[in-house]
Amino acid sequence: MRASPLRHVLAPLHPRLEVLHGMPVALHLRDEQPGWAGVLGVCDLSFLPRMGLKGPGAAAWLAERDIPVPAVPNRWEPLPGGGLVARLARSEFLVEDGFPGGPVTGLAAQLQVGPGVYPVPRQDCALALTGSALTELLVQTCNVDFVAQDAAARVVTLTSMVGVSVTVLRLPADGRHVVRLWCDGTMGPYLWETLTGIAGELGGGPVGLDSAFPDRSA
Amino acid sequence: MKILTCPVNGPRPVSEFVYGGEVRPMPDPANTSDFDWADYVFNRSGIPGVKVEWWYHLASGTWFLAERDTVADRVLRTWLPGEEHP
Amino acid sequence: MSAPSAAPGRLPPVSGEWIDRSRTIDFRFEGVAYQGFAGDVPSAALWAAGVRTLGRSFKYHRPRGLLSFANHDVNALIQWGARLNLRADVEPLEPGMDLTAVNTFGGVQGDRARVLDLLGAFLPVGFYYKAFHRPRALFPFWERFFRRVTGLGRLDFRAPRLHTPKRYDFADVLVVGAGPSGMAAAVAAGRAGARVVLVDENARIGGSLGWQRGGDTASLERLRALEADLAALPNVSVRPGTLAAGWYADHWIALVDAVRMTKLRARATIVAGGAFEQPAVFRNNDLPGVMLASAAQRLVHRYAVKPMDRAVVLTANADGYRAALDLLAAGVSVGPIVDLRAEGESSGLSERVKQVGIQVLRGHCVLEARGRDGRLCEVTICPWDGQGNASTAAPQKVACDGLVMSTGWAPAAALLYQAGAKMGFDERRQQFVPAALPEGVFAAGRVNGVFTLDNKLADGERAGLEAARLLGFDAPAPRSVAPDLDAASHPWPIVDHPAGRNFVDFDEDLQVKDFLNAAAEGFDNIELLKRFSTVGMGPSQGKHSNMNAIRLLARIRGASPGEVGTTTARPFFHPVPLSHLAGRGFSPRRETPLHSRHAGLGAVWMQAGPWLRPDHYAVPGKRKSENVREEARAVRTGVGLIDVGTLGKIELYGPDAGAFLERVYTGKFANLKVGMTRYAVMLDESGVVIDDGVVARLAEQHFYFTTTTTGAAVVYRELQRWNAQWNLDIGIVNATGPFAAMNLAGPKSRAVLRAITSLDLSNEAFPYLGVRQAEVAGVPARVMRVGFVGELGYEIHVPAHQAGHLWDALMQEGAAHDIRPFGVEAQRLLRLEKGHIIIGQDTDGLTHPDEAGLEWAVKMDKPFFVGQRSVDIVRRRGLRQKLAGFRLDAASAAVAPKECHLVIRDGRIAGRVTSVAFSEVVGAHVGLAFLDPDLSAEGTPFFIRADGGTMVQARVVALPFYDPAGDRQKISG
Repeated sequence: MRASPLRHVLAPLHPRLEVLHGMPVALHLRDEQPGWAGVLGVCDLSFLPRMGLKGPGAAAWLAERDIPVPAVPNRWEPLPGGGLVARLARSEFLVEDGFPGGPVTGLAAQLQVGPGVYPVPRQDCALALTGSALTELLVQTCNVDFVAQDAAARVVTLTSMVGVSVTVLRLPADGRHVVRLWCDGTMGPYLWETLTGIAGELGGGPVGLDSAFPDRSA
Repeated sequence: MKILTCPVNGPRPVSEFVYGGEVRPMPDPANTSDFDWADYVFNRSGIPGVKVEWWYHLASGTWFLAERDTVADRVLRTWLPGEEHP
Repeated sequence: MSAPSAAPGRLPPVSGEWIDRSRTIDFRFEGVAYQGFAGDVPSAALWAAGVRTLGRSFKYHRPRGLLSFANHDVNALIQWGARLNLRADVEPLEPGMDLTAVNTFGGVQGDRARVLDLLGAFLPVGFYYKAFHRPRALFPFWERFFRRVTGLGRLDFRAPRLHTPKRYDFADVLVVGAGPSGMAAAVAAGRAGARVVLVDENARIGGSLGWQRGGDTASLERLRALEADLAALPNVSVRPGTLAAGWYADHWIALVDAVRMTKLRARATIVAGGAFEQPAVFRNNDLPGVMLASAAQRLVHRYAVKPMDRAVVLTANADGYRAALDLLAAGVSVGPIVDLRAEGESSGLSERVKQVGIQVLRGHCVLEARGRDGRLCEVTICPWDGQGNASTAAPQKVACDGLVMSTGWAPAAALLYQAGAKMGFDERRQQFVPAALPEGVFAAGRVNGVFTLDNKLADGERAGLEAARLLGFDAPAPRSVAPDLDAASHPWPIVDHPAGRNFVDFDEDLQVKDFLNAAAEGFDNIELLKRFSTVGMGPSQGKHSNMNAIRLLARIRGASPGEVGTTTARPFFHPVPLSHLAGRGFSPRRETPLHSRHAGLGAVWMQAGPWLRPDHYAVPGKRKSENVREEARAVRTGVGLIDVGTLGKIELYGPDAGAFLERVYTGKFANLKVGMTRYAVMLDESGVVIDDGVVARLAEQHFYFTTTTTGAAVVYRELQRWNAQWNLDIGIVNATGPFAAMNLAGPKSRAVLRAITSLDLSNEAFPYLGVRQAEVAGVPARVMRVGFVGELGYEIHVPAHQAGHLWDALMQEGAAHDIRPFGVEAQRLLRLEKGHIIIGQDTDGLTHPDEAGLEWAVKMDKPFFVGQRSVDIVRRRGLRQKLAGFRLDAASAAVAPKECHLVIRDGRIAGRVTSVAFSEVVGAHVGLAFLDPDLSAEGTPFFIRADGGTMVQARVVALPFYDPAGDRQKISG
C-alpha cells in the first residue's frame, strides 16, 4: 500500500522486490555491478518507518518514552535496537527505525497534539550512500566541509545538495563509509537521478538493499 | 562567496540563506497617521552603517537576526529572536 | 623546414629541465612539421627549431616572438582545431598538434595585413572613435571589415559541448604561488598543523628558484630541499598546474586546472604570486629576439633551449646580471651589459661578470633595435641621463640576435586587490606594494616588494607563521624581514624616439606617443587613459604594460605613480574556459507522487515553478483544445480526477492557532467550526493580495490550510517570521511535500467515493465546505468539499507514500462512471466558468482585495490583520479598477482576445484582460478583465484590442457565468 517516492525511477532498473514494513523494497537491481557498493552505491531506504515531531515539549515527550534525545541541536543518537533519533536544528526531531524494527510505529500511535508537541509528517525520500568514493561525491555536490567534522560527535547537517534541501549524517559503520540523506519526497526522483549520474562517473551506481547492507539483520 | 553564521547551524555560504530585510519596528496601525503608515510600508532606509537584519536558513527553516556593517559588508554577530544578550 | 630530433637551438641536458628527452612529440605549426619533447611547450620547441616569428601583432601585424614567455603577453597566440586562443608559451605540447597563429591573413610568415604597419600614421590611438561613421551608408562595410580584421581565432561551431563537473574544497590556509616565498610559507603553516593547499599555475613548482640561477646550482639545491620539506607534510596539498583565478568574499577562491574548476574555501590566504617582469621601452623593442631576461632564463632552465647566440643585456637591477651569467653558462655569447643606472650594480654580481669578461656600460640605454627578415640583428646603445634623455651624439651599434631586458617588475597583486588590499607606491623600491591588508590576507615575496632570495624565503616563512597563528595554531612568533637594500625596478625605463614603434602594450600595439596623444585629448586619468587607449585591455590584461603606462601618465601629469594609481584587477587572472564555468548544470524539479500515473495516462507536462504538472492528457488523434474541452465536459457531466498535490499545505497547532490565522488572513477563523472549511485571502503589509487558500479546522487546536503552488515556501517562511515577532503559542509545520492531494469532481464524484470509504457522504452528514478525516481505500485521508471548479467535488489529502494507491482505487472505481483525469488547462477553464480568480493571474503586484471582488472576505472589524491599515487607506482613496466578468458577442468569436490584451476607450487604456477562454457550457468566450470602475457595471459594452489591432466588443456580465446559484456543488445523494 505504501510506495517509495523512487518507485517509478527504480522500475526501469528491474528491481527484485520484497515488501518490508509495508513498502516494496528493491533488494537487488538486475544490472548493478558487484563492485559498485564498495565504490559508490546509492540505495533507497525510504521504506524504513520514521516519524517527526517538533515544539518546545518535543524533547521531553521523547525522553519520557526512553528515546535518547541529543542534548544539543544538530546531533543524532543511535537507538538501542537499531535506528536513530536526530535533533534537527533546535526543537525538531526525526526518529527512524533500524532494519529489524524499532519504536516508530508505537510512538506514532501515541503522538497526539499536546502542549508544545506537534507532529511533523515525514514522507521522505531517504537514501544511503556507501563506498570509498563517497567523499568525492560529497565535494562535487555539497559545500559543507564534512572532512573537518568530528566523526565521533555524530553531527547532523541540514544543508543544500545539488539545489535540494537535505539532511545529512555520516554513520560510523565499522570502517565502511556510509552517509544517510533525507529530502522531501517530491525532490526524490531529481536527487536520485543526479546522484546516481555522478556515482556512475565515479565508478559506482544504484544498488539494491542487499548490496548496500549485506549484514543487516531482518 | 560570503559566509554567514546561523546561530543554530553554524557558518554556511550565503547561498543557503534568504535575506529578510532590515528589522523595522511596526508603528501601531491603529494610532498612526496615513503618512507615517505609508512611510513604514513603502520606504526603506538606504543609510549605510550597522543594521540589524532578518535572515532565514532555508534548509532548516530558521529565522535569525544579524548585525551587519553594510559599508564593510561584515556581519558582526547573529542571534535568534528572543535570545539577544543585553 | 623540418628539424632533426635535436633541433639546432636545443641545449644538452640542463639539470632540473622539464622536458623528457625520451619521448619526442611530432607537431605542426603553420603547415610545417616540427618535433619537441614531452613536457615542452610549442613556442619553446619552435624557438629551438629556429623559428622566430611566432605570431603577428594585433593592430600592425608586426612579427612577434617571445616576450615574457610566462603567459604575461600574447605574442604567440595559437589555434588548434576547435581550441582557440591557446597560449603557445604555456600550453603543454601534445602529439598531433596542428597549430596556426591567430589573426593573420595568409599565414604568420606572409601575413598580408602587415601593410597596416606602414599605415600606422593613419591609425592613431582611438582612431576608431572618430572615423568610419561618415558617410553613414559605408558604415556597414567598415563594420564587416573591422570584424574580420580584428578577431582573434576562428570559432568552430561544431565544437563539442563539454561538461566539466566542479567541486568544492576546503583548507585552513591557501598559498598562491609555489616559488621560494610560497613554498616557505606553506612549510611554515603546515608545520604548525594547518591544512594547507599550495597552488601554482606552472606545470611544476619552484618559481624563480627553478630558472633564476645566476650561473650556479645553489638555487636548484634549495628548490629540492623545499620540495622535500613539503612532501614530508601530509597536511599540505601541493597542486601544480592550478591557477587561483579569483578571490571572492571570505576566502572563496576559484582554482582552475586543466580539468575543472574547484571552489575552495580557505580561512586565510597567502598571496606569493610573484611579480611580472616589465619590458623596457625603446624603438622596435618588439622585434623577435628582444625578450625579458626571465623569459630567456626560463627557456634555458625549463626547456633547454638556447635563446640566442649573441646577447646584449639591458638592465637596471641585479636580476639582469644573474641573467647574463645564466646565458653565459648556456653557451650564449654575452655583452655588453647596458645598465641604465649610472652607478651600476653594487652587489657581488658586478665583480662576477667582470671576472668572466662581460663588458658593462653604466649610465647607458638602448636607443633602438634593428631587424632583418623579421628578427633582431643590431641594437644602438647611447649614453643616457636616467631621466629619459639619450645622448645620440655617439651611438654604439652592436650586432646581436638577442636582447634581454631586466629593468623592472610589477607585483602580481590581482588577488590582493580582489581581497580588499590597499596598495601603495613605494618610491625607494619603485613598485606598488601592499599598504594595508585585510585580516586573514597575507603577501610574501616579490609581490610584497621582497626580491633577494634569502629575504623571500624569510618573508614566506613569516607569512605562513602569521597565518597559522591567526587561525589559532600553535606556531612560533615570526621574525621580521630586513628590507632589501636595492630597488629592482627603474623609475623610467623608457626611451622616446621620433620614429616611434617603441611599444608599451604589446597586446594592443600601443607605443609611447599613443599615451601622449591620449592625455593631450584629455584622457589623463588612469581610468580614462585605460579605456581610451585600451592599455591593459588586451588578453594579458596589463600584466606587462600597466606599470609603464602608469609611469608615462605620472610624468605627463607631473605626479608620482602613487598619485596616478592603478585600475582595478578583476577576476579571472587568466582566461577560464567556458566549459569549466558551465560545469554540470543542476536544474532541480519537483514531482508529485502521482507523476508516473500521469505519464502513463499520456500527460503533457507544464512547468509550475519547480513542479511538473499535467497540462492535459493527450488522446491520440485529438488536438490539445479538444482534449481540454473533453476533460472539462467530463467534470461537468460525469466525474474527473485532478492531482492538486503541488498546493502548499500547512499544519497549524496550539491554543493561539485561531488567533494567529486571524492576524495573517483577512477573514475570521477563530469561529470556524471543527469540521468546516473557509476560503482565505492573504495580503501583504501594503494591502496587496498575495495568496489565497482554504482553511480547514480539524480540531479545536488544529488547522490545516492550503496555499497557492508558487506561494507555499514564501507563505510558510513569512508565517514563521510573524510568529518570531508575536510569540503566540502555536506550532507551524510545512506539510507541502508530505501530503499528496487530488480532487475528485463532477456530479458522479459522490458515487465513486462512496464505494471506497465508509464515511457518510450525505449532505446532512458531510455538508458543502465540510472537512472529514476518514480512511479512503484504506488510506488515512482528509476529505474536503470544495468549490473551485463548481461541481460536486471532494479534495482528498493523503500521505505521499500512499497517494498512488488512492489514485489507482479512484480510477478503478471511477471506470464504471467513465472517470476522466483532467489537467491544469481544463481546471483553469472550469474555475473561470465559476468566476474564481487565480492569484497572480487575475491579480498582480498592486491588486487590492476590493479590486478583485474579494471585499466579502475582508473583515475589517478584527482588531488587527496584516494589510488592514493599508486597506483602510486605499478604500478612502476610491477604486481605481474593478475585476469584472465579460462575455464576447457572438460576432467577435472569430478573433478572440488573449490574456493581457488591453481594454481601450477613447484611445486610452481602460483596463486589461486577465483570463479568457471559450466555454462550452456558456456557449461563448468568457473571461475576466480589470476595467475602469465606471465601465464595470453589468451590461456595459467595451472594446478589447486583440492581435493585429482588431477591436473586439465584449459586454460585462455578472459572475459566475455558470450555475449562479451554486447548486451543482451541493447536490444531494
